[in-house]
Amino acid sequence: MTQFASLAVMSYNPRKGMEKILLIEDEELITRLLSKKLAAVGYEVSLAMDGREGLEKIKQIVPDLILLDIVMPRMGGFEVMAEMKKDGKIANVPVIIISNSGQPLELEKAKDLGAVDWLVKTEFDPNEVVEKIQKYINKN
Amino acid sequence: MRERELFELSEMKARLEEVNSVLEIRVNAKTRALRELAANLEKEMKERTEELRRKVAESENSRVALMNMLEDMEDLRRRAEEEREKTMAIIANFSDGLMFFDARDRLALVNPRVEDYFSINKAESKNMIGGRISDIVRFAPMSSLGEIFTGSLERVSRRELFLNEKTIFEVSVLEVAGRAGKIGTLLIIHDISREKMVEKMKTEFVSIAAHQLRTPISAIKWTLRMILDGDLGPINDEQKEFLDKTYKSNERMINLINDLLNVTRIEEGRQVYNPVVADIEEIIRNLISNYEDIARQKSLVLSFEKVALIIPAVRVDLEKIKLVVSNLIENALKYTPAGGKISVALGEEDGNAMVEVTDTGIGIPAEQQDRIFTKYFRSANAIKAETEGTGLGLFIAKNIVEAHGGKIHFVSEPGRATKFSFLLPPAESD
Repeated sequence: MTQFASLAVMSYNPRKGMEKILLIEDEELITRLLSKKLAAVGYEVSLAMDGREGLEKIKQIVPDLILLDIVMPRMGGFEVMAEMKKDGKIANVPVIIISNSGQPLELEKAKDLGAVDWLVKTEFDPNEVVEKIQKYINKN
Repeated sequence: MRERELFELSEMKARLEEVNSVLEIRVNAKTRALRELAANLEKEMKERTEELRRKVAESENSRVALMNMLEDMEDLRRRAEEEREKTMAIIANFSDGLMFFDARDRLALVNPRVEDYFSINKAESKNMIGGRISDIVRFAPMSSLGEIFTGSLERVSRRELFLNEKTIFEVSVLEVAGRAGKIGTLLIIHDISREKMVEKMKTEFVSIAAHQLRTPISAIKWTLRMILDGDLGPINDEQKEFLDKTYKSNERMINLINDLLNVTRIEEGRQVYNPVVADIEEIIRNLISNYEDIARQKSLVLSFEKVALIIPAVRVDLEKIKLVVSNLIENALKYTPAGGKISVALGEEDGNAMVEVTDTGIGIPAEQQDRIFTKYFRSANAIKAETEGTGLGLFIAKNIVEAHGGKIHFVSEPGRATKFSFLLPPAESD
């Protein structure tokens, strides 16, 4: 079913392979799974293992969309978003939070910092992550 | 001449004698009268003296009686005083802070515990006497009470009051009535800081544990999903079957963790509600469509019925209300044997929206019905029918419904049927 969904994504998006997605996540297994999935669908995926590395890469490649974890070493997701706001070049890159938590107060905070969506990892699977990405990338 | 003189003399003598006799009569009469008078006086004196003596005796008796009465009164007064002292000692040493307001809502009494709680001295506490609650909350050390009492002395029950990071009170107000009606109002301040701290540590532990559990579990979920979808290469049917079962087990674990987190959030008071005016019919119809497949697989009839023409609009936290309805439907699905019926009804009662979930299931044993909303509780027959279950669903449902100002209750006939219904107050039109 997912492969079918992937095909649908590919045919739906004629600019496949053009969009750059930056995945900022410290959990290796999740990173490997998601980058494989996204690459299969046709996105150009870059990885960062913590917030600080992520912020550097955002500035360097200016991705079309960012998948951002919240709890990470060195610099957390909220801090990354706060830093992005200070830089006009990257301030408007859509950010989707992928987290293990989903407390209402955290959701509020993320919204205030400009996140477009929030996915709790246990409630979504990689296919649904792809669907979410499409929703925000096709808008641009 | 001599004869004439003699005659005159004799005549005079005769007259004198006459006068004398008259006088004698008169004197005698007077003397008699005087004697009588004296006798009367004496008699009267005797009588008066007697009366006086009697009166003195009487008044002595009265005095003794009065003294006795006074003594009795003194005794009563002393006893009343002792009672009052006892009562005051109880009030003074009471482990809760007490503030008593008279029938006109003016502060009449403050116990020392209140002074401790709000760090005020005796003089300051005395100064508050006679004031209304609106005056008292203007006094800086007491201002935190203003969070509860914005104007008058409202009737509140166990309202939490955060004084600072470490101190949390529970405030209650109750009317004090005597035989003749309302005497006044008692404001009770109970320190729950310790209980709160223990509770917080416990919920924090569960919260952290649950979040930590989610990390590996989400990794398992994603890996299995991608293997099952063939994203990581082809697998054979047998492998697929095993992995599919593993995936489902993992999903159950996710639900369990979510339930635990919901409970801790409710207990931490962190359950943030985002109430919106919603059409409850749409919510229920959508939910039911999610459960149709499961019902069919279990040979159960799942139906929906609207039993009132107009359903009041409600103001709810969508996700939370969905959780309540899901919990009730899932319970019905779990505990109704094949061939049974589950009907969900939407109606109206006293201006409230009413949702009912009725099943023809195993029911709740009569002796366990009063514990059904208790956290982690599962009835004996439920455990037999279905080993899986956290005993949290109804606890969560009750908390959510009550947080919306609603009520939940049930009727159950063991072995035959159960009906859960909850009411949600109408959205205020403003």
